[in-house]
Amino acid sequence: MSPNSVGLPVVIVMVEDDEGHATLIERNIRRAGVNNQIVPFRNGTDALDFLMGEDGTGRDHAGSSLLVLLDLNLPDMTGVDILTKIKGNTHLKRSPVVVLTTTDDQREIQRCYDLGANVYITKPVDYEGFANAIRQLGLFFSVMQVPTTE
Amino acid sequence: MANRSEFPLGAILLMAAGVLALLVIIGTSIWLANASALLTAEVTDARRTRTTASEVLETLLNAETSQRGYLLSDSPRYLRPYNEAVQTITRDLAALDLLERGNPVARPLIVQLGKVVEAKMAELRQTIALAQAGKRDEALAVVRTDQGINSMDAARGVLQQIIGNAEQTVNADMAQLGANTSLLRLVTVVGGVVVVLFGIAAMWIVFGAIRQSTEAREQVQELNLTLEDRVLRRTAALTRANDEIQRFAYIVSHDLRAPLVNIMGFTSELEVGTKSLNSFFQDGDEAARGPARDAALEIVPEAVKFIRSSTGKMDRLINAILKLSREGRRELAPEKVDLNGVFETLAASLQHQIAETQTTLKLSENLPTIVSDRLAVEQVFGNLLDNALKYLQPGRPGDILVASENARGAVIVTVKDNGRGIAQNDLERVFELFRRAGRQDRPGEGIGLAHVRAMVRRLGGDITVMSELGVGSQFRVILPRTLPSDTGNTA
Repeated sequence: MSPNSVGLPVVIVMVEDDEGHATLIERNIRRAGVNNQIVPFRNGTDALDFLMGEDGTGRDHAGSSLLVLLDLNLPDMTGVDILTKIKGNTHLKRSPVVVLTTTDDQREIQRCYDLGANVYITKPVDYEGFANAIRQLGLFFSVMQVPTTE
Repeated sequence: MANRSEFPLGAILLMAAGVLALLVIIGTSIWLANASALLTAEVTDARRTRTTASEVLETLLNAETSQRGYLLSDSPRYLRPYNEAVQTITRDLAALDLLERGNPVARPLIVQLGKVVEAKMAELRQTIALAQAGKRDEALAVVRTDQGINSMDAARGVLQQIIGNAEQTVNADMAQLGANTSLLRLVTVVGGVVVVLFGIAAMWIVFGAIRQSTEAREQVQELNLTLEDRVLRRTAALTRANDEIQRFAYIVSHDLRAPLVNIMGFTSELEVGTKSLNSFFQDGDEAARGPARDAALEIVPEAVKFIRSSTGKMDRLINAILKLSREGRRELAPEKVDLNGVFETLAASLQHQIAETQTTLKLSENLPTIVSDRLAVEQVFGNLLDNALKYLQPGRPGDILVASENARGAVIVTVKDNGRGIAQNDLERVFELFRRAGRQDRPGEGIGLAHVRAMVRRLGGDITVMSELGVGSQFRVILPRTLPSDTGNTA
């Protein structure tokens, strides 16, 4: 991903409770040639603390570019809660959110897009498919434009 | 509700008894009436005997007077009463003979009377015949023999006996008639009362049976009316159970799949690492030294670590599912469960945590006694107290209050804490399997409340939660006072 207008590289925020999945996702994104910084979070509370910043408004990230990789099944809340908060936040609302989860329930997919999700990807059940999907996602990232947070 | 007794046996028996009593009264009346008729006939006969006997005496006296007159005056005019007496006396004697023919007491007297009267009449006939023949002196001589007066005295004596006997018979029969009348009245009154009593009893039984059948009919109607309602409620419960099973199946498949993807993924990583090692050690490719080093020091150990942790996680999940499944199949054993005792035992076993967190545990004094499965009840409230102690607001001494209130056929037990609370979004989520809410700073698998809800529902109740983040939570457990017998395995 190309650096943003102020020259800062895009930061990938990965919210994934399963440490193994997180490792596999990171490794396959790297194999696709994406070298951006990845900030992993194991639960929704910590991820929201980071996204909303010290004052809870999200202003901390002004000027930087964030891409959020979001699992819906988190131990302490659902990814939908985080998605809602991001898309409802003045500063974060334009940051792309990629939902990456096991759920292929149509209503859940519709709900996520209604709430402003940019991409919804269902994790393939077999590992080959999983690795392939992540790598293609990485390739996609490399050509994607991410706006600067205001 | 098989009600064959529209006309119960008891009523039929009572009515039969009443009819019997009525028959007894009728029989007695007929018998008494017959007896009275006989007595009346006897009285009539006795009275006629008395009258006739008096007439005989009077006739004899008339005949004697007539004889004396004739003997004194020699005038045939005086003979008229005598001539009449001859006829009258014969007729009266025949009548008496007829009246007292069947009477063994009077019969000899009548025979004797016949002889005495015959003797007297013979004396009269003789003297009158002598006087008519002009032999007055001879006639008077006969009179002076006192034969006549003796016969007269004898006749008077016999007649008085006959009259006395008749008098006695009349008196005795009249007394008997009076007694019969009293008896008839008594039987009628007693019998009437008995009939009325039997009638009342039979009616009471019949009315009882009618009331029973009416009640049964009303019950059936009421059941019909509530049937739809109950079907709806059952259907709702089944739908809920079905939704839960689907949700459960989804969660299980998702949560079991996640570690499986890890195992497969890190197995592939192991393969990648092994290839690097192979190319360095077997092919001796010096350029592969770096990747081989990475593989040996990082990739392989990391893959092994994740494979191990993933299999461990799968194992824990499967064990948790097995535990839930076992709990759902366990036979519930209803018994009297005193909730005071349950909470006191739980408080004692949690004493360590209570002291450690400086918690005040207040138990309402009059917690009820219910009929339920003791083990399940203990597990439900044990989990709730455990959670209350586990998720306290840091830096604030715990304050847990257990109270109860009555509902229709059920009790509501509330466990209220001043802990860290649950966000509004997560209120339903906390009951889901493998799901937890809030900061993940306490150990746990996300099983406790799922288990609690499954058990409470299996006990025929439900559990709800109200909470405010940072203020505290209140769990409300509704349990039936008596464990319903048709509680299915909806867990």
